[in-house]
Amino acid sequence: MVSTVQNSDVKQKNEDQAVVVAVTFAAVFDAEAEDDRDVYRLGVALPLLQVLQRVNERLLEENPVEHQLFDIILITTETRQQQQSSSIITSTRHHGLEVGRFCFSSEDDFIESLAQNNVQLFLTTDGNEALRATQQGVPSALLDKNSASCPSDQLRVVLCQDATIQPDADSSGASKKSAQSFLTRLGQIRQKFGMFNSPLCFTIVTSCGGKDSCCSALKSLRSLGVSVDEAYCLGGAPRGPILSILRPHFLLSDGFSQLEG
Amino acid sequence: TVGRPGSTLGPRPKPENSITIAVSSRVLFNMEKEQQIFEQQGMEEYIKYQVEHETEPFSPGPAFSFVKALEAVNTQLRDLYPESEELFDVVLITNNHAYVGLRLINTINHHQLFIERFCMTGGNSPIGYLKAYNTNLYLSSDPVKVHEALGEGIAAATMFTPDKMTEVSETQLRVAFDGDAVLFSDESEQIYKAHGLDKFFEHEKAHENKPLDHGPLKGFLEVLGKLQKKFYAKGQRMDCPIRTYLVTARSAASSGARALKTLRLWGLEIDEALFLAGAPKGPILEKIRPHIFFDDQMFHVEGAAEMGTVACHVPYGIAQRVPEKKGLKDKEVSSIK
Repeated sequence: MVSTVQNSDVKQKNEDQAVVVAVTFAAVFDAEAEDDRDVYRLGVALPLLQVLQRVNERLLEENPVEHQLFDIILITTETRQQQQSSSIITSTRHHGLEVGRFCFSSEDDFIESLAQNNVQLFLTTDGNEALRATQQGVPSALLDKNSASCPSDQLRVVLCQDATIQPDADSSGASKKSAQSFLTRLGQIRQKFGMFNSPLCFTIVTSCGGKDSCCSALKSLRSLGVSVDEAYCLGGAPRGPILSILRPHFLLSDGFSQLEG
Repeated sequence: TVGRPGSTLGPRPKPENSITIAVSSRVLFNMEKEQQIFEQQGMEEYIKYQVEHETEPFSPGPAFSFVKALEAVNTQLRDLYPESEELFDVVLITNNHAYVGLRLINTINHHQLFIERFCMTGGNSPIGYLKAYNTNLYLSSDPVKVHEALGEGIAAATMFTPDKMTEVSETQLRVAFDGDAVLFSDESEQIYKAHGLDKFFEHEKAHENKPLDHGPLKGFLEVLGKLQKKFYAKGQRMDCPIRTYLVTARSAASSGARALKTLRLWGLEIDEALFLAGAPKGPILEKIRPHIFFDDQMFHVEGAAEMGTVACHVPYGIAQRVPEKKGLKDKEVSSIK
């Protein structure tokens, strides 16, 4: 049974306009390590949490009554975690994390709670969880140990475009729609800042496709209201090197590749 | 005008096998008008203008004929070695934000350039990218970026636009190099700066058999030489599609020998060595008609450009720190930031 608890330390966001991002327990905390006071140590998602907060701060600087802010939910995806609810709440408050709500669910019902909470982006360290969420129409991205060394002053979103169609990615109308909706909202947030010194940066990386495929992607995104800052068309070169320069907080590919066709 | 029929050129070379030439948008194309708008009216007007003219192709810039010649060499290499990936691979580099870059892509298509790689950095430095993807040569109009690239061990030069551009071959790539502080280190140049031309000639004759240290563009000459050998292997020595030139202030009578011996020791050939003994380079370059000429001294770069040669400045070595003997200042070209 899912229970949702508000974090009273954090000002609640406007339900209609906020961009809801759910991050799993295993990404927020390093579940293996607890210190003496039963407080969990922070995990790979820390720079991401910091940078989402930074974007919110900059948004409020531009407009003190801004409602289109990032709203972060911490979600558990296993029964064992679900049972640690009080430790989780304590640890979150101890570290002063800007988590608006907690969603205590298990492996059986976390997908449902993503939907119930109007989650627009689901971030996890678990590939299966990401896959399941994507199949149910929630744009997802994986975090890993590289995420831990990302910058905390600028949210770097990289849209990775590959010629290879991923057979397991769901291409239903609902998935496509939710991916587009998420990108549109990010685009709206991006528009609130100027060309330079923006706390949010969009980059396209086209691995295998040629320049025309990159070009179509730029135009599709433009029609969604997304202004892309950087674009790298690699012409078949491996994407490892450019990604280690860009240091994205997360890569969008499944949701994005569904934009084509 | 984005779509165009699929390329019939076959699979793209893997970057580790190809020779990567990175060119900035402002040397590949003529963007003077837009640059002026940026400088006089600011970023917003500049972007507005670019987007409004998105389907209007830019006209060719100083690097255009060089890139076309690289493609001509590729065509001839593919004919002789259809399986080989040792080809030139041109990457377009721009500081622009990506959606402004659409006009650049349209322009590439319009001019039928075979450029499939590009790097739109949105204002960040491209140097990390250049390093990560094994760039063999970087050409830009921005001396700051060129300097940064040289500092990272990437062969680089600042390209200038000649007032008029002499016609160049469409089938044979011609590359001309200065010697000291370009192919070779600046060790001898230091002597010249401190003690003058005669002392330089004396010193070089005395050290004739001691090879010079290498300069920033030695590697590029090396890759050109590798490709030339592939043509020679197929019997194309006399009419090789690549031709290289050394255009140096050294004198044939004295200091020239050390340069030639050094090249020989490195296993590098140069097709024509022109020893000017201090005479101006403009006239000889006008006869040679290279697609590109590299020199470390602005005096020579400007002299070449005045006579229609696409000349590039390699900001390396002692010449950058000691004032020009002829009193000419470097041209500073500001970049879009």
